[in-house]
Amino acid sequence: MRLLGRVLFLPIALLVLLSVAGRASAIDLVETPSLAARVATGELPPVAERLPETPLVVDLDGPEQSLGEPGGTLKILMGRQKDIRMMTVYGYARLVGYDRNLNIVPDILESYEQQGLRRFTFHLRKGHRWSDGQPFTAEDFRYFWEDVANNEELSPFGPPKTMVVDGEAPRFEVLDKYTVRYTWTNPNPYFLPALAGARPLYIYMPAHYMKQFHVRYADPDKLARLIEETHTRNWAGLHHRMDEQYRQDNVDMPNLQPWRNVTPSPAERYVFERNPYFHKVDSAGHQLPYIDRVIVNIADSSLIPAKAGFGESDLQARYIRFDHYTFLKRGAKQNDFDVRLWHTARGAQIALYPNLNAADPVWRDVLRDVRFRRALSLAIDRELINQVLYFGLARPSANTVLPKSPLFEPAYRDAWAEFDLETANRLLDDMGLTDWSGGIRRLPDGRRLQVIVDTAGESTEESDALELIKSDWRRIGVELFTKPSQREVFRNRVFAGSAIMSVWTGLENGVPTADMAPIELAPTAQDQLEWPKWGEYYQTEHASGEAPDMPEVQRLVELNRAWRYADSTDERRDIWHKMLAIHADQVFTIGVVNGVPQPVVVSRALRNVPEDGLYNWDPGAYFGIYHPDTFWLTAARREAVE
Amino acid sequence: MSVAQGGADAGQARHYVSQEPFDPHSVEQLAPEQERYYMASQWQLMWWKLRRHRVAVFCGILLLFMYGSVLVSEILAPYQLHSRHTNYIYSPPQSVHLFHDGEFIGPFVYGWSYRLDMETLRRNYSEDRSTVHRLRFLCLGDKYDFWGVIPGRFHLVCPPEGATLFLLGTDRLGRDMLSRIIYGARISLTIGLIGITISFSLGLVIGGMAGYYGGRIDSVVQRVIEIFRSFPELPLWMALSAILPVTWSPILIYFGITAILGLLDWTGLARAVRSKLLSLREEDYCTAAMLMGARPRRIIARHLLPGFMSHLIASATLSIPTMILGETALSFLGLGLRPPITSWGVLLNEAQNINVVALYPWLMLPVVPVIVLILAFNFFGDGLRDAADPYR
Amino acid sequence: MLTYVVHRLLVMIPTLIAISLIIFIIIQLPPGDYFESYIAELQSQGESVDMAKIEFLRKEYGFDQPILVQYAHWALGMLQGDFGYSFEYRLPVSEVVGDRLYLTALISIITIIFTWIVSFPIGIYSAVRQYSWGDYTLSFLGFVGLATPNFLLALVLIYIANVFFGTSIGGLMEPQYIGKPWTLEKIGSVMEHIWIPVVVIGTSGTAGMIRRLRANLLDELEKQYVVTGRAKGLPPIKLLLKYPFRIALNFFFADIGTILPSIISGAAVVEIVLSLPTTGPMLLTALRSQDMYLAGSFLMFLAFLTVVGVLVSDLALAALDPRIRLQGGATR
Repeated sequence: MRLLGRVLFLPIALLVLLSVAGRASAIDLVETPSLAARVATGELPPVAERLPETPLVVDLDGPEQSLGEPGGTLKILMGRQKDIRMMTVYGYARLVGYDRNLNIVPDILESYEQQGLRRFTFHLRKGHRWSDGQPFTAEDFRYFWEDVANNEELSPFGPPKTMVVDGEAPRFEVLDKYTVRYTWTNPNPYFLPALAGARPLYIYMPAHYMKQFHVRYADPDKLARLIEETHTRNWAGLHHRMDEQYRQDNVDMPNLQPWRNVTPSPAERYVFERNPYFHKVDSAGHQLPYIDRVIVNIADSSLIPAKAGFGESDLQARYIRFDHYTFLKRGAKQNDFDVRLWHTARGAQIALYPNLNAADPVWRDVLRDVRFRRALSLAIDRELINQVLYFGLARPSANTVLPKSPLFEPAYRDAWAEFDLETANRLLDDMGLTDWSGGIRRLPDGRRLQVIVDTAGESTEESDALELIKSDWRRIGVELFTKPSQREVFRNRVFAGSAIMSVWTGLENGVPTADMAPIELAPTAQDQLEWPKWGEYYQTEHASGEAPDMPEVQRLVELNRAWRYADSTDERRDIWHKMLAIHADQVFTIGVVNGVPQPVVVSRALRNVPEDGLYNWDPGAYFGIYHPDTFWLTAARREAVE
Repeated sequence: MSVAQGGADAGQARHYVSQEPFDPHSVEQLAPEQERYYMASQWQLMWWKLRRHRVAVFCGILLLFMYGSVLVSEILAPYQLHSRHTNYIYSPPQSVHLFHDGEFIGPFVYGWSYRLDMETLRRNYSEDRSTVHRLRFLCLGDKYDFWGVIPGRFHLVCPPEGATLFLLGTDRLGRDMLSRIIYGARISLTIGLIGITISFSLGLVIGGMAGYYGGRIDSVVQRVIEIFRSFPELPLWMALSAILPVTWSPILIYFGITAILGLLDWTGLARAVRSKLLSLREEDYCTAAMLMGARPRRIIARHLLPGFMSHLIASATLSIPTMILGETALSFLGLGLRPPITSWGVLLNEAQNINVVALYPWLMLPVVPVIVLILAFNFFGDGLRDAADPYR
Repeated sequence: MLTYVVHRLLVMIPTLIAISLIIFIIIQLPPGDYFESYIAELQSQGESVDMAKIEFLRKEYGFDQPILVQYAHWALGMLQGDFGYSFEYRLPVSEVVGDRLYLTALISIITIIFTWIVSFPIGIYSAVRQYSWGDYTLSFLGFVGLATPNFLLALVLIYIANVFFGTSIGGLMEPQYIGKPWTLEKIGSVMEHIWIPVVVIGTSGTAGMIRRLRANLLDELEKQYVVTGRAKGLPPIKLLLKYPFRIALNFFFADIGTILPSIISGAAVVEIVLSLPTTGPMLLTALRSQDMYLAGSFLMFLAFLTVVGVLVSDLALAALDPRIRLQGGATR
């Protein structure tokens, strides 16, 4: 008998151990110190039960990263109360997200399958819970789809546009408690990038919490009382007010982010507490995030560089510009922080947009002549601007993708981007603009060739660059005037065609991969400053605006469409290159520099923040793809009392 | 002239009246100064009183100089307004020396260049004591268009050939601050004048009507004034700036801004005019004029106004500083003048960031002429008002 | 007297209506509405916009209805005590304004007291010792505050305060005390921060006060009763303070009309620079983003205070100064 016991002891012990630990795979989980008290009193379940059965295990053994210890408070600064939505961006907990190499990988989802971009099957993590402990299941997806997106009172315009392909909404199926599926007849290549976006497409909602605001599920008396208390007009208004997952201004609403807001508005100081049910652990068994609390202090945006320079922020890049670098460096030593230089990922920091839909007919013909645009581009001394504004640390380039993107080609960067006054003058002469008067050429109708560039007047960089460009263009007989105005007026002038040229930043996404949509390269939206009316035509689905009448632009529209139906990444890559080549050749927008460094203030007590990263909205989510939930504070800082 | 003696009563004392010829002017002989004094017009009296007020006179002369400089900004400034020196960005002020190696040479500057510290991305400027560059006076320098019309090159002082003269440093595009301040004066100083003209006229007309006619018109005007004053400045500024069409050229926008400042300022003057008129119209000379059939306009303009015109002018003078400060505040809010127009408000707005305060403090120097100007106006206006006061 | 008061109260009504119309027009003047500028702002940062929500809010708040209907909606709401909804903050207007009012009033009152404390001695000295060197020096100091543009001075003081005293940049207190109950340290922190706005705003107000006090005092000092008092042997200080000074203070009561709303609205420019949680920056942001209800209701509140304030000051003047009562008009 004893022998049997001995023989069976080990396997039985192993079995017991495995079954206990089986809940969270084979890692030894460690209870989070700051939550230990609440676990002891039974308010929170122990860590093994707070995590899903298969949590996301983060491997932190890279060259710049290390395993950390939980604890501590992080202070950051924001400019307005609305900016607390940035915590959802930085937190970057998404169904699927971009990794550091800009590939889409599952995050909240355990896994997903997709067939030909038409059918997406999502597998949730078993046992994954919302921040209030309730289970996160397919019901949350169903509630969103059936009771919100397709409810006529809540969504009078139907489901989100990204989910509607060629006028068709997807077929939504709940396969089981943890699996959902979306199917379209035509491919939807925008779906996954939208889910991974900095501002994500939400296809789920905490059903158990939101049902109390929905006429179909709520007790009618309670609903009426809530409507009265909140001074909303009807249940739809109430529901809309309560369902803001992105802005996090409803502190009672559960979410899946690493930190959630617990401070009701209005406030000058917002506290974000850790989410005890966050689905990630590190390989040593600590549940993420490491940092217990993030405190967001609201201060006027013009003071934030000063405050950061005196050490009042532990992690700051928002509202910090390159020209603050010297000042920040000065304060870095005494105030215990580093200033790192990350890189922006816009196609151009400053780009000129000739308005191909200008109302003035003479100007319209001139601007549509590709020789004019090429000449203007050749007549810009980009090296000088780079030296004067960026100490030579940016990159002179046309408005195109950056070297970090797999689609980059040097030819795109250099297309018509050298400083060549001779060729520029020759091109203008070829166009027939040979009438000079007082050092300035004349338009075909006799007016002086005065380019009035509209600006929104918000950036000194832009006005400085325009100053420098002004003297360059004078040498080819073109006079430049800037016309600053307010942002809305600026946009309206461009949209109406009253502005013949405007200046703004270049491509929003300068690091695309072949699987990201090339919508910026074709007319797709009204706010594309180079062809607002053509963009409007497609944005409103032919309801207003004008159809493009330039063959190259029509080709871009075709290619954009073809991309959508492309079957393979190779095909998509091919289409991208075709579109980029057209842009390089046609110079629809005139870029000046890109790759401008972005100073990032990082406290010396903060670890796992990359030395050099990409600072971009989408993809990138600013800090999102570097996952601030893996940043940790040194022991000294953790013990400091806030 | 003999007067009849005695008369009916022989017992009364007899008056003695001299029969000598009598010249009344011989008794009350006016000294020439006194005569001048009594015959002097109101304005002359004011001037004499003002002259005794030394500080006010000093400020007045200062103001005259400043406004005079506006006429010849191009000549006074060492550089042209838009000239850029991209090799001398954020240069601190250069010092002008007189003695080199113990020898008196005359005003000169040393060579000036910078080394870029790649760690902090800061330009560190230093003098090269081996090269001496003498300043040139009454010389030909940067090209300019005098008042935008006449091309010229004559300057009071020029930078030496092949060297730089940045007496107050340079800004982020390498533009000389001294030149910018001198050119900025043209806009800042004249904005006040034009604005004050507008508000003065408005205040006079409206206040005059209210004060003279009284009754209904008075209460309506009072209500309007109340409405104007009950507005905090901010929204009115924003609204009026929003009205200015974007298509206007910078010059027109400049006039638009002065009109805005003027429109918001007339209420104080109107109230003063009104209350003065209310009391003065009861005076006898006014009644006399009315009885003689003078029209109201004539009475107001010819009889009533001169009585307190001096007071009004003093008030107006004291309002000009408010206009100048208003222009700087508008620039700060992003509502006023913007580059490429250069005014002190625009310069101060460009200096309004932590980089300047911590690293490039010389960019805040435009605040000095602003302070000097406002102080000068205030002291001068006070002196004017004291001089205009008829009761002292 | 009674008829005068009633008459003034009745006149207040059309005045307020006119003001509300003007306010409404002013806010609607810039092109577009809140949502357009909101969309413009988001798109300019590359963020995508939840169009469904915006369209929903637009419909719910009647932005697609004609202007007059929107005005009526707002005006009638205010009469019922509903000041509307702020889109910027996603909260009812009363909650947004709430706390800020107290802080604004606190700063304003301290500033006014500071201004009085500084300008009274200078004003009196200037009047009594006119044209002396002391007069000029003190006036100079008083005027320098007026002459310096506030926003620049505020920024410089912030920097100096940090470099020399270690005060945190901007705000009313160290960040960790925000939202916490009042302790001794919190009060100390507030004291550390509050002197900057008080000095900046106060010094620009001293000049005007000095000048007025001096002018009025000079007028009084010429009067017969002062000569009589001096002849009768009253000590000069007592003579000065007991009679002419008090009469010179006449203009304070006339000023109540403007002091009241300025207490609430504060000095917007300085508050913006210093990033203070007061009503000035809130109003500016609301105007910029065309947050109609917040801007409109708050401005209406200020206008109301002004009108009431003017009435109160007129009544106070009439009550205190018998000359006005008997003559039936203001002396100024």
